[in-house]
Amino acid sequence: MTQPNVTLRGPDVPNTPGSLDPVFTVEDLSVFYGDYEAVRNVDMMIGRREITAMIGPSGCGKSTVLRCFNRMNDLIPGAHIKGKILYHEEDLYGDHVDPIEVRRRIGMVFQKPNPFPKPIYDNVAYGPRVNGIKKNMDSIVEEALQKAALWDEVKDKLKQNALSLSGGQQQRLCIARAIAVKPEVILMDEPCSALDPIATTKIEDLMQELRQEYTILIVTHNMQQAARVSDRTAFFTADVDDAGVRHGRLVEFDQTTRIFTKPSDKRTEDYITGRFG
Amino acid sequence: MASANNRATAPGPNRSLARSRPRYGEAAVKVLLLAAALVSIATTLGIVAALLEPTIEFFSEVSLGEFFGSTSWGPLFSPPSFGVWPIIVATLEITLIAIIVAIPLGLAAAIYLSEYATPRVRKIFKPVLEVLAGIPTVVFGFFAFSFVTPLLQDILPFSLDPRNALSAGLLVGVMIIPIVASLSEDAMSAVPRSLREGSFALGASKMTTSVSVVLPAAFSGIVAAVILAISRAAGETMIVAIAAGFKSIFTFNPGSEMATMAAFIASAGSGDAPVGSIAYKTIFAVGSLLFIMTFAMNWFSARMVKKYREVYE
Repeated sequence: MTQPNVTLRGPDVPNTPGSLDPVFTVEDLSVFYGDYEAVRNVDMMIGRREITAMIGPSGCGKSTVLRCFNRMNDLIPGAHIKGKILYHEEDLYGDHVDPIEVRRRIGMVFQKPNPFPKPIYDNVAYGPRVNGIKKNMDSIVEEALQKAALWDEVKDKLKQNALSLSGGQQQRLCIARAIAVKPEVILMDEPCSALDPIATTKIEDLMQELRQEYTILIVTHNMQQAARVSDRTAFFTADVDDAGVRHGRLVEFDQTTRIFTKPSDKRTEDYITGRFG
Repeated sequence: MASANNRATAPGPNRSLARSRPRYGEAAVKVLLLAAALVSIATTLGIVAALLEPTIEFFSEVSLGEFFGSTSWGPLFSPPSFGVWPIIVATLEITLIAIIVAIPLGLAAAIYLSEYATPRVRKIFKPVLEVLAGIPTVVFGFFAFSFVTPLLQDILPFSLDPRNALSAGLLVGVMIIPIVASLSEDAMSAVPRSLREGSFALGASKMTTSVSVVLPAAFSGIVAAVILAISRAAGETMIVAIAAGFKSIFTFNPGSEMATMAAFIASAGSGDAPVGSIAYKTIFAVGSLLFIMTFAMNWFSARMVKKYREVYE
């Protein structure tokens, strides 16, 4: 398989991120909440079976951008975008696209573990059931829990309420729940920010496993985490315009090793070295 | 002098941690709040005490076997009869019709308001719905008697008495819709957004999310709403008195006239029964029974809620 050598264009992304096989191509994306432009002019590409990290200070719009990839922002009244997100060359925001179908292909894990207050089994089976799958549910559930590295811990208590699990287990359950619908992409919105360091390590190890099969996008506040787990990193920050309004923007997008060793933008360097943010 | 002053104001280890001046207000507020809480408990105990004595006297004259073993009810007739089943059946039947109306409509309204309506629509609809709860029940009663019953007589294939359980039950149901809808909506709105997002992110539709995630998570609040509504329906007096009448007939036919327990108490209590007579004591016996039935239902629902509740957090 030939990997196209892609050069990203855009005012703030003058560099070449190396070859990638794009799952998403973001073209001049701006996100609005009503009249407020929360994020401006983002151009980036998400490579297949890679982990792409989105970092930056609070309020820089990285979560907002993440939630565009599965059209989660559609649920917020007044939210809309300008520009384009292509998913395998199909416009994710095209008129014919059903957001529900999008979310079946592009799973999501949230900042705070949010298992349903139901048995562990039903949590994992929820997605497949919603998708109309009725057969072989036991093996689907087991496979998803295996992949999320949770099976051994819960196989004897699948009927127990998911909320009886620890925070780290709950988050892995949420990952299993996302995996059970067999998505191509998993979006993770600060998945470890509510977890202790040991649980965090487990999730990070898990991400490396999942990378064999899935494309992962992760928003994180933790720069070390981005450095540890990701192949590519997008650094966002917020600018204040003439009217005093903050707008998030993408500063730099590159291979993680380059972002953390020789960033091409001064703002990235300041952030990485802890001089602000 | 100067050093003493320093000791009182300077931060650090020298400054005492003792309370600097007594806080009388706090104690007074606590007593007042406790008193407020005690009023409702005292009232409940007072009602139980008031019911208890005449009820015991009643059962010294009428045996439990006759009370629960016969189906002829006419404590004000001569000779009187004390078989309580006709008014129990009437009460349960009208309550059943009412909840068959109120649960689906109330829950549907709650789901609409909590999950589908825009904030603007919700802001208009919810107060309007709650106004329905403020309509005097005598208005519902006359509406049932003078409009709903004639309408049902025209469209239904079986015959209806001018006063009947069906239209009374329907209107009691309409009366309790706001209770079910408003309290269920509160319970559903309290379900964290994150649970809904978790469901949407798996490709669930709004309807699936509402029914499979939000409704179960709000289950305990919804059960509480339904139980409160049932209690209101079982105790409702004015609608059933006007629309279903006072005639105690032992029947399950919803097209028939029938008197509920509350309707009996209202009619017997409004002057016919001399104080101290057996008819008078009957009122208290029926009141006790209604109290026990409602109490048992509340207790049962509390258990249900505990057993099936889905606690988030």
